[in-house]
Amino acid sequence: FFSKLFARVTGNAVLSAAEVDPIMEEMRMLLIGKNVASEIAQDICESVRTSLVGQKLPSLTSVKTVVREALERAIVRVLTPRKSTDLLRQVMAAKAEGRPYSVVFVGINGVGKSTSLSKVCYYLKQHGLRVLIAACDTFRSGAVEQLKVHARCLEVDLYDKGYHKDPAAVAKAAIKEATDKGHDVVLVDTAGRMQNKEPLMRALAKLVSDNQPDLVVFVGEALVGNDGIDQLTVFNQALANYSPPGKTHQIDGIILTKFDTVDEKVGAALSMCYKTGQPILFVGTGQKYTHLKKLNVNLILNCLFG
Amino acid sequence: MVLQELGDKLTGALRRLQTTTVVNDDVLNDLLQDVCRALVESDVNIKVVATLRKGIKEKVNLADAPAGLNRRKMVQRAVMEELVRLVDSGTKPYQMKKGKSNVIMFVGLQGSGKTTTIAKYANYYQRKGWKTCMVCADTFRAGAFDQLKQNATKLRVPFYGSYTEADPVRIAEEGVQQFRSEGYEVIIVDTSGRHKQEEALFEEMKEIQAAVRPDNVVYVMDATQGQAVFDQAQGFHQAAAVGSVIVTKLDGHAKGGGALSAVAATGAPIIFLGSGEHFDDLDVFNPGSFISRLLGLGDMRGFLEE
Ligand SMILES: Nc1nc2c(ncn2[C@@H]2O[C@H](COP(=O)(O)OP(=O)(O)OP(=O)(O)O)[C@@H](O)[C@H]2O)c(=O)[nH]1
Ligand SMILES: Nc1nc2c(ncn2[C@@H]2O[C@H](COP(=O)(O)OP(=O)(O)OP(=O)(O)O)[C@@H](O)[C@H]2O)c(=O)[nH]1
Ligand SMILES: [Mg+2]
Ligand SMILES: [Mg+2]
Repeated sequence: FFSKLFARVTGNAVLSAAEVDPIMEEMRMLLIGKNVASEIAQDICESVRTSLVGQKLPSLTSVKTVVREALERAIVRVLTPRKSTDLLRQVMAAKAEGRPYSVVFVGINGVGKSTSLSKVCYYLKQHGLRVLIAACDTFRSGAVEQLKVHARCLEVDLYDKGYHKDPAAVAKAAIKEATDKGHDVVLVDTAGRMQNKEPLMRALAKLVSDNQPDLVVFVGEALVGNDGIDQLTVFNQALANYSPPGKTHQIDGIILTKFDTVDEKVGAALSMCYKTGQPILFVGTGQKYTHLKKLNVNLILNCLFG
Repeated sequence: MVLQELGDKLTGALRRLQTTTVVNDDVLNDLLQDVCRALVESDVNIKVVATLRKGIKEKVNLADAPAGLNRRKMVQRAVMEELVRLVDSGTKPYQMKKGKSNVIMFVGLQGSGKTTTIAKYANYYQRKGWKTCMVCADTFRAGAFDQLKQNATKLRVPFYGSYTEADPVRIAEEGVQQFRSEGYEVIIVDTSGRHKQEEALFEEMKEIQAAVRPDNVVYVMDATQGQAVFDQAQGFHQAAAVGSVIVTKLDGHAKGGGALSAVAATGAPIIFLGSGEHFDDLDVFNPGSFISRLLGLGDMRGFLEE
């Protein structure tokens, strides 16, 4: 017994599956309780487990601490963007080329696409850019009037053709209008749709492939459960499957809304990043124009483990 | 919904139970693990799942039970009873009264589908011959009144609202009063989306409630949402005494287990399921018949009725 304890303290012990597994299971349930999708919690814990079992236990550290630190590192890796999330710089680059930069907002129903669009509009306008909003949700009642109100409040231009029009054609006309009138950015709103509705997904792929926007933003909500990863994966696949060859443009980034409604249950951020490896460009933290923030990785860690 | 899928998994697990020769703690634990995992993967809150697990364990006391068939029955019955409790709160939904004004107030998180569901609900009652109308007490969301107005116009349902009045309490009060005096039977009140973290919004909801004295408060929740559903549903229930639950967006891939959390948190029954964006996409939900469909297997049902 003493020699075992001694080995432990001086760091000669090797982590065994029997030691790691119960703690890993505890961590998995902790993540699920914080709204990480079951599949993702499982995957992350499994990979951390594999990396730990058979490793030397550092001296003066408990197994629990080792597991938790390894898990935190894995989560930070998932949440850290692998490419630039600086929207402003990209818009400026397009402006320098003398053309409008275009962004399409996609996602399922009611997650906050139109609201996020108007927050992004506010942000760009603050930086002196001329924005045109394109009302390409030509389906849902009140969708056009919703954007009219935002355009009026934000004092920017709105391009709309009312309801029951082909959204791809409206987007095309809006981008042309922006080019003609010298707008710097076109923000394209689209109707919410469930990822399993093929005709609607085809229509979305058409809008994107016909117009080749600079940025396709997937909008999801922090409230989303296990369905979140399915939404993101199926939207991404649909954009590939239903576009003509050579015209495919998949999801470039994510906006995760309604962070103000989930307390410390912030797991959706992890699930979403894990699945496509696309960065979270912004998070929505309320219903005002200023409630658009950059993702704070430390805050997420605190919420998960704090 | 969650139960459809769960039904299959459960049938499998229970069938396996039929074929095992000895029903001991290991068999019970395996079964519980299968059931609980299926629930968590369908977005049922982990606290609710833990309660269910505990409930089953308490009912099944293998140590004292005689061996053989009875043990099997005891396990099956306990699992079924606890599952039934998840969907069936035991409280009866509000019954509309003919020839009287029934005021029904809709509440819920932002974007959960209140305004759309109100149109479906109005359509449902109007078709059944009830004198139906809507009041728009959402003065916050951009385009909210237009959305309700466009739906009401398509359905030829009278509506009340204002573009200029900013106080939702006042609109609600005036609208309901007017329709009461005109003898409307089903008066539906739409309210803004809100969340428990913002106290002022909950205060406003209580004021609207006090002003219109609703006969039933309907909590509208989104089937795609995860672990935070329980907390929100509980918050709404504490503030506004939720009487019924409607689950929306079940036409996607989501299994809607969050709804079971909402039932657990409010003690209110699910009355309708929303399955699309059109006015007809509303299905009456009856916990009783749902359970018997879940059990599907006449033999299992027998255990409950004994
Ligand atoms: N609390 C909170 N509410 C938000 C946030 N973002 C959006 N919302 C609210 O969510 C509701 C739905 O927002 P919309 O922008 O209309 O959603 P959408 O995705 O465009 O909806 P559809 O076009 O109908 O599919 C509105 O009440 C918004 O105010 C957020 O970050 N926090
Ligand atoms: N696919 C699908 N979409 C739905 C369903 N119910 C509502 N929606 C859509 O969800 C989105 C939000 O619905 P709304 O009725 O505006 O939600 P709300 O709760 O009134 O939103 P706020 O007033 O902003 O809080 C819209 O795009 C609706 O068409 C449903 O059962 N299935
Ligand atoms: Mg929208
Ligand atoms: Mg609404």
